[in-house]
Amino acid sequence: MATRIRHSLTVRITHWVVALSGILLLFSGFGQLPLYKRYNLIKVPGFAWSSNYEITLVIHYLTAAVFTAAVCFHLVYHYRRCEFSILPRRGDIGNSIKGFKAMFGLGEEPYHEKFQAKQRVIYTIIGTTSLLLIVTGLIKSYKNLGAIVLDPIFLQWVAITHTVTGGIFMMLFLAHVAALLLKNHRPMIPSMITGRIDRGYAEKHHPGW
Amino acid sequence: MTISRRTLLKVIGAAGLVTLAPAVRSEAKIGPDSFATLIDLSKCDGCEGKETPLCVSACRTGKKDLFPKVDKDQLLNYWPQKKYEDWSDKQHLIDRFTPYNWLFIQQVEVDGKKISIPRRCMHCDNPPCAKLCPFGVKHKTAEGPVYIDHSLCFGGAKCRAVCPWHVPQRQAGVGIYTLWQKYLPVAGGGVMYKCDLCRDLLAEGKTPYCMVSCPQKAMTIGRREDILNQAAQLKEDRHGHLYGMDENGGTSTIYFSPIAFDKIDKALSTNHNPKEKSKPVPLHNAENILEKQNLWTQLSLVAPIIGVAAALGLTRGETAETEDK
Repeated sequence: MATRIRHSLTVRITHWVVALSGILLLFSGFGQLPLYKRYNLIKVPGFAWSSNYEITLVIHYLTAAVFTAAVCFHLVYHYRRCEFSILPRRGDIGNSIKGFKAMFGLGEEPYHEKFQAKQRVIYTIIGTTSLLLIVTGLIKSYKNLGAIVLDPIFLQWVAITHTVTGGIFMMLFLAHVAALLLKNHRPMIPSMITGRIDRGYAEKHHPGW
Repeated sequence: MTISRRTLLKVIGAAGLVTLAPAVRSEAKIGPDSFATLIDLSKCDGCEGKETPLCVSACRTGKKDLFPKVDKDQLLNYWPQKKYEDWSDKQHLIDRFTPYNWLFIQQVEVDGKKISIPRRCMHCDNPPCAKLCPFGVKHKTAEGPVYIDHSLCFGGAKCRAVCPWHVPQRQAGVGIYTLWQKYLPVAGGGVMYKCDLCRDLLAEGKTPYCMVSCPQKAMTIGRREDILNQAAQLKEDRHGHLYGMDENGGTSTIYFSPIAFDKIDKALSTNHNPKEKSKPVPLHNAENILEKQNLWTQLSLVAPIIGVAAALGLTRGETAETEDK
């Protein structure tokens, strides 16, 4: 089977570091809500610790550090290499709608380059959500350093934004995984592991690449 | 697209400053003009002979408008659990923290001497209850008090779990979660309640109800710096002991006692009747859950610098090429 390179090793490592730290952040973040005791996760063998706020907070800090470093790395790395093909362009919303329709056999897929219009839009949504989580998370971390008093209402909005955005991030993550399980998206999965994608698939779905 | 070295340095500098600025200001302390209180245990006699200590009854009367007003139809189980926390039929209890009792007197005998200890929220300097609230509805104010916004609290009770003295108490069937719990009983459990140091009275220049009513003048409130000095002086003059200066990272409530607090704490746990449902509120050397994790907090704050530095290191040669073009 003829293949071509889609993602470099650096891109793949960054992706998986963000993905794995993101999963742990979601788990430890939901642990910071009083959920696991109420919903009996603590009764599942091996998860008795999950309602311990101290443990989930340490996991949250550590994985937040990894996630934040990986996202900052991603931004600066691609900025330095002038790689902007995943950023949204004029007309992407319309083409995304066409692309989503095509996924369900309604019409033709628009002409795509390396990234499809809907991939660029989704990247922007997930990216913005991640940055919001990082900025609000940094403020939350800062105020935890000691006897620091910030404006209570400002902190309230920071906390609400962080918690609500965390929920949105989880839904986006689930949608991302669900989309990859669709039959016509499955050939993209190997490219995130080996870096290579089927040439025939690329010519069909990314003819302008 | 080419990037000049100057532009790049600006971006990195800005990113670095965003991360470094908080670290530099992280030594900010609670202001010397904020409120603090001193409770002198050598003066408090628990209002011997009275059915209810005067500070307790004054608190209950003064704060009654803030107590929960329960809609009995909203007293539903915390699904999927088969329980809910309801104190509305136990409003008379004055020997523990409840949503209807924000101050109580602990009594214990140490070395043949009876000690009475007024217990309420310590109004910590770095309060985990407020700082770890997922919705930020528990506030630490610059004036000192830590208070709960009852109109927004979900009653998750995390604040109670992370408070070393388990001060905040939950009442089901009240608060914002009653808007949805009948249709979607998945989140919320009521509202949390605790002492707010009568912040409304303080704002008017008045003194909290409990302190005004104390016949022994065992409790005083004032400028933090003055109270801390007063406490230190008391300790030196009477060779006594202080509690609340360093516990849980420092608090705005300082206890003075002629007897060592570890002795009192030991007596509290030893004399406790295990058949009683409520556990004794300790006077232990409470550790602050946030301070214990300062190293990890700092790591999360410098993470942007680590990420940027790694990217710059990995692309160093490439930029040189780009700029050479």
